[in-house]
Amino acid sequence: MTSAQRGRKGMAFGVGRLLAGAFMLVIWISASATGMLPGPTEVLVYLASMRPEELFAQVLKTLYNSITGFSLSFLISMALGLISHKSNLIMGFSEALSEIFNSTSALVWSLVLVAVMGVLSPLPPILVVAAVTLPHVLTATVSALSSADPGLLEAIRAVGAKPSDEFFEVILPSSVPLLVSASRVGLGTALRISVVAEAFGSSGGVGYMIIRSYNLADASGVLAWSVVLIALVLGLDQLILKPIERRAKRWLE
Amino acid sequence: MAGMMLRVSSVHKSFSEPVLTDISLHLKEREVLGLVGPNGCGKTTLLRIMAGLETPDRGDVKVMGKVGIVFQEDRLLPWKTLWENIALGLKYRGLRGEELIGKVKEYSEMVGLSKSDLALHPRKASGGTRRKAALARALVLEPEILLLDEPFTGLDVKARISLREALRLIWSEYELSTVIVSHQLEELLLLTGRVYVLTPKPARIAEEISVEGMDLKSRLDRVKEALYHILSRTPGSEEPLS
Repeated sequence: MTSAQRGRKGMAFGVGRLLAGAFMLVIWISASATGMLPGPTEVLVYLASMRPEELFAQVLKTLYNSITGFSLSFLISMALGLISHKSNLIMGFSEALSEIFNSTSALVWSLVLVAVMGVLSPLPPILVVAAVTLPHVLTATVSALSSADPGLLEAIRAVGAKPSDEFFEVILPSSVPLLVSASRVGLGTALRISVVAEAFGSSGGVGYMIIRSYNLADASGVLAWSVVLIALVLGLDQLILKPIERRAKRWLE
Repeated sequence: MAGMMLRVSSVHKSFSEPVLTDISLHLKEREVLGLVGPNGCGKTTLLRIMAGLETPDRGDVKVMGKVGIVFQEDRLLPWKTLWENIALGLKYRGLRGEELIGKVKEYSEMVGLSKSDLALHPRKASGGTRRKAALARALVLEPEILLLDEPFTGLDVKARISLREALRLIWSEYELSTVIVSHQLEELLLLTGRVYVLTPKPARIAEEISVEGMDLKSRLDRVKEALYHILSRTPGSEEPLS
């Protein structure tokens, strides 16, 4: 593909994205015209009236819950993935664990963990995120770690590589693009899930603010905090995760 | 035996079916030996057995020196630059700093890689450059026996000539015994002094031909005649060589 063709493709892609945004805005404006929802102007006014320190505190709380929960699931996945690589028993255990966790909804995890740990415990949102993202991250990790090219492993063995060199020089680098892509999807999921968990058992976070506004019949508040969540997910993805993914895959281009 | 670098004695190898049957051959000191035979006859398996990457079911392989192998596919790590790929084996042997840099530089120059080539990742490099990097990766460990699996496959004429010249330079500078497996008969016969012709699978040694002192045309005629003779006795075989 020439650079001009790439430029045209990129331009069309960008226009498509703008159109999707405009489409959602039109639906929102149409719905607000019927009186069902507050319109974008009311929500903007609500957002402008928020105290910045409160906004940051709630956003940080949600980010903390999501990133901590996701990191926990990533660490468990890496550990299981590495042992699965050597043991069929652990491979079977990981697969079954993944299937069980995948069949359990975020709502069930939230209710059970809040019931066990209490509404005021900071742990349920973190653990719900870890439990819900674990099957996806675990599946991606196991498949990434076993996707190393045997030809490359043989080639470095032929020049004297030890098993630890095989891991650090071939197995880990060849899994990085898959792991980074999985992490990008996983972190987005983590943010959305943490909000559900916060709504059930937390004293802060974007999810807590959404449910609090709902309980106060404050529709503008519900939408304003929802907009904050969408901006957070998109900002994290586009400004941080996507550039990291591009960098991790640069040798593939 | 004095002056002998490698000896393969009565080697048999099967995977799901027999691949090699009673193969015996030898490689002399500083010799360039060719292995030719029909497509899929087991030449690469034989080379891998010589390199110790496969174990024969029966028979014996004696290797008198360090072995380096260059695979048919370049097998360079795509996330590392060519420089880093060449340095890998030295790093595993604990070399660092100036000594490592000096060796990588020496062998990269020997195979004809420029400084800008070495900064490339494999995907950005041409087929010829990648092949030279794979050759340098094997040479930098200073093997006494070099095994080359289809070194000219997939290269254009210019890259083939360049690689051929690089190999000649290496042989003139270092004490190296070499086995080359290649379908490119002309390239192979320009470099080798002796050729073993293998039969279709399960491969046996059909003939050992010394082409030393012959001009290229006579070498080609002699080896092609041997190959046609083998193929004419094998129903269903096609002309597999260029």
